[in-house]
Amino acid sequence: MDFLLLLLASGLVSGAAYGLIAMGFALIFKSTGVVNFAQGELVMLTAYISFTLYSTFDLSFFPLMLVTIPISMAIGLALERLFIRPMLGEPIFAIVMVTVGLAVVLRGITIMIWGPDPFNFNAGIPTEVVELGGVPFYPAQLYLIGALAVLTAAGWAFLRFSRMGIAMRAVAANETAALLVGISVSRIHAIAWMLSAAIASIAGVLFAANFKLAPDLWFQGLRSFPAVILGGMDSVIGSAVAGLVIGVIENLFQGYVGQGLREISGFIVIVIVLMVRPFGLFGSRDIERV
Amino acid sequence: MKNGLLALSAFLLASTAAYAADPGVSDTEIKIGDVNIMTGPASFIGRAVSVGSKIAAAEINEAGGVNGRKITIITEDDGYVPARSFQALTKLIEVDEIFALNGTSGTANVLAMMPLIEENNLPTVVTTAPNELVYNPVRPSVFTVGASYSDAFYAQLKYIHENSEPANAVYGLIRQDDDFGGAVEAGYDRAVKEFGVKDGLRIRFKKGTANFAAEVAQMKQAGVNVLANGGIIAGAANILGEARKLSMDLQVASVWSEDMPPSVNLSAPAGYDYLVADYVALSGPAIDAFLEKAKKYASDEEVGAINRYTYVTYVGLKALAEAMGQCGQELTRACTVEKLRGLKDFDTQGISAPLSFDNPEQLSGKAVAVYQLNAAEKTFKALTDFADY
Repeated sequence: MDFLLLLLASGLVSGAAYGLIAMGFALIFKSTGVVNFAQGELVMLTAYISFTLYSTFDLSFFPLMLVTIPISMAIGLALERLFIRPMLGEPIFAIVMVTVGLAVVLRGITIMIWGPDPFNFNAGIPTEVVELGGVPFYPAQLYLIGALAVLTAAGWAFLRFSRMGIAMRAVAANETAALLVGISVSRIHAIAWMLSAAIASIAGVLFAANFKLAPDLWFQGLRSFPAVILGGMDSVIGSAVAGLVIGVIENLFQGYVGQGLREISGFIVIVIVLMVRPFGLFGSRDIERV
Repeated sequence: MKNGLLALSAFLLASTAAYAADPGVSDTEIKIGDVNIMTGPASFIGRAVSVGSKIAAAEINEAGGVNGRKITIITEDDGYVPARSFQALTKLIEVDEIFALNGTSGTANVLAMMPLIEENNLPTVVTTAPNELVYNPVRPSVFTVGASYSDAFYAQLKYIHENSEPANAVYGLIRQDDDFGGAVEAGYDRAVKEFGVKDGLRIRFKKGTANFAAEVAQMKQAGVNVLANGGIIAGAANILGEARKLSMDLQVASVWSEDMPPSVNLSAPAGYDYLVADYVALSGPAIDAFLEKAKKYASDEEVGAINRYTYVTYVGLKALAEAMGQCGQELTRACTVEKLRGLKDFDTQGISAPLSFDNPEQLSGKAVAVYQLNAAEKTFKALTDFADY
């Protein structure tokens, strides 16, 4: 089995996890201008909720997600209504600080409910190794890559063709103008949080299925942040692609250069890219018209 | 009458002088402090530590206490944060007025508390952080129980080399890029040099890494078939999971955290019957007897939280109680420290090797035994007795 192929395959797996989490960040930023620092915690919380559903009802993956996603969307909506909506009109910095506080609260609640022990959580996905083109995968790894592909395509179609998606882009482009043409900005914000929570749940469940479910899962939010920067803070699709790029680069650096370069390799790429394109690979350039 | 009053005054002064100097002791009670990780991701360690102290105290108290004085454990949470450890011990000393300290959290946490421990000459038994930084330089009132990670890895690799080494053995190491990882590598380094085996690959990783696919692919590429796995808990399990995916035939040496039930539950599905070396027993009559005792003194939930940290803390408090008992009714910190320093071959009923602090480092329990997991049954069997390496 080819060493390079192994590194590329496993890079795609970790990159898919980065990409999914990054999509959630970008979706909220695109619609509200807020960097949600509780995104990693949302990933963790929804994964734990899914774990409880799985343990209680012994569901296979797709039925499990059919139950998990609506619950996650409800949580996203509740968070937006309770903590973000009252902050409308306040400086962005204040709203961002609310998300920081929310992150700490969600972390505490998760450990309070589920305890500190890590769990094996296969999310109803088989665990036998399968081979694709001579490269071994766990099915959960293929589900992760598949989920990113499906959500990227769905996200593109949603933002490109649906009324809601177009309204979301309008709000992102100019909130006041969107309001003037009759778009309910607060509704768009709520929907962004709901969709972001749905993506977070898919990311969380599949990350846990691949790398165990533990209370430090929230940290993957921070680890995925470079993908958001690289792809462009306001580019949902760009964040997904950037996640893959960073995952593959990290693995290639670790495989061929080694010794701790995995962590810094992604940041080296980000520094280089941002020096050339400060708004990220796929982000919108800020244009000021005089 | 006047002489009688003088005599009574002298008696009262004499009987309370020691207690005035050393808080935490009354005619009926000895207060023992416990700074512990009760919240946060590492709280499964703290819960286990707490249960160990509770069982030891209950057993001692039921047998009449220490010269008639009952032990009271006062626990403070530090959340594994060194600054909070200092605050917690300050509170235990100034508000609760403890006499001695048994639970001491992690290495950085003990070091953060060290100025207070030294200033108060607080008899302290460190059972969960047997790091050289704790006992070198030696602090007069601090006594450490436990082996080094270096010895633990050397012991396992020695066992593999002598008993189950595969043909064309290639050794490999994966470890954290910190002091803990350095200790693991020291044991690995000693083993490969002493045994003259092929040192295939050494890889470092950052704490918190979840995806080890590239690292394990490197191991496979290097032909590694004896792995020193320096990952812990989910990390160790993910390393073994990747190895299983690549169909690697491995002999595996592990960190002693991997003998705890949560770790075993995570790692066992990979199917590797890995080794661990530990300074407490994991199976056998001593543990069976301890678990019976636990059911008597602890709740079902507490019994469920028992792991190796329970055993070490139990042993630590028993040793502390033995030293306090030797002081008789005139119990002082100075006397307790002196008696701990003289402790030799203290019998832990098979839970660890006998404890002796009569050495310059005031360090005991360095002997480790090697165990092997039965991944299918999630049980350990002893491969060696406790021995120094």
